[in-house]
Amino acid sequence: MWYKIIEIADWFGELAERYRLIKNFNRAAKHSFITGVAPTLLEAKITRGESAYRHAFSKWMGGGFRIKALSGRTLERLELIEIGRVILDNEELIRRMISLGWDTLEVHSNRGFLGLKWKLQDHANIGGFID
Amino acid sequence: MQIRDSLVIEEVSQIGDTLTNTTNGSYSLWFWIALLELTFIIVLIFRLKKKQSKLPLSEISKRDIKGKPTTQIDMDNLMNSINGARDLYKVLSRACHPDKFIGSEKHQISEELFQEITKNKRNYGRLQELKNQAQESLNINFKD
Repeated sequence: MWYKIIEIADWFGELAERYRLIKNFNRAAKHSFITGVAPTLLEAKITRGESAYRHAFSKWMGGGFRIKALSGRTLERLELIEIGRVILDNEELIRRMISLGWDTLEVHSNRGFLGLKWKLQDHANIGGFID
Repeated sequence: MQIRDSLVIEEVSQIGDTLTNTTNGSYSLWFWIALLELTFIIVLIFRLKKKQSKLPLSEISKRDIKGKPTTQIDMDNLMNSINGARDLYKVLSRACHPDKFIGSEKHQISEELFQEITKNKRNYGRLQELKNQAQESLNINFKD
C-alpha cells in the first residue's frame, strides 16, 4: 500500500520536473531573445511525439519535446537542424529527457509546416545508463 | 404516509425478485455486458503490459534511475550554444589549427586543443574556456 502511495508521489514529482525543464528552457530562450543574442524567440512545449520512437519510459500522449520558433526572423532548414544538433549533442540533457518520459525531439519553424524530428534514444549513447 | 410505505414495500419486493432470479442462475442482460466489458478491459491491460515489456529500455527499471543524482542543466549555456557556438567554433578552429604551428614547439598543444575544440563544437561554454586556454598557451589574440 505504501509502495503504491510512494509511486503516485513519484509520478507527480516527475511531472513537476518535466514542467520545470520546459519552464527553464523557455525562460532562457526569452532572456536571450530580449538581450538580442537570439534572432528568434524559441518556445518549448510537450507534444504527442512519434509513436515509432517510443521506449519504456515514454509518457502516454506526452513523448514529444517540441521547440518552436515564435517570432523574429524565420528560421531556415539548416538553422533548424543546427538547433536540433545542439540539443542532441548535450548528452546529459538527452538522458534526462529520456528518463523524464520524452522520446522525440521536434524542431519547428514559425512559418508553414516545416519541422524536423529526431529519436532521442539514438543520441543518448546508452550503455552505462545505470552506472 | 401509507403511499410511501407501499412504495417501499414494492421496491423491497422487486429487490427480492431480482435476488431470487440471480440465485436461480438467470442473470440479467446487464450482468453479462458488465462481465464482457471487464474481460475486455483485462485483455487490453494485459496486452499493454506485454507491449511495454517489448519496448526499448524496458530492461531498466524506474527504481534504478530514481536513486541516481540529477545534474542541473545549464539552459543559458544551451541558448548561447544554439546562437553562438557555430561562429565561435569557426573562429577557434581557424586560429588554433595545428597546421599553423608546424615545426613550432606549440604544435603538440595546438593539436590537443584542436581536438578538444572539435569535440565540443556545439558547447559554447566549453568553447569559451578553450578560447581562454588558447590565448594563454598559444598566445593568440582574438578580435572581440
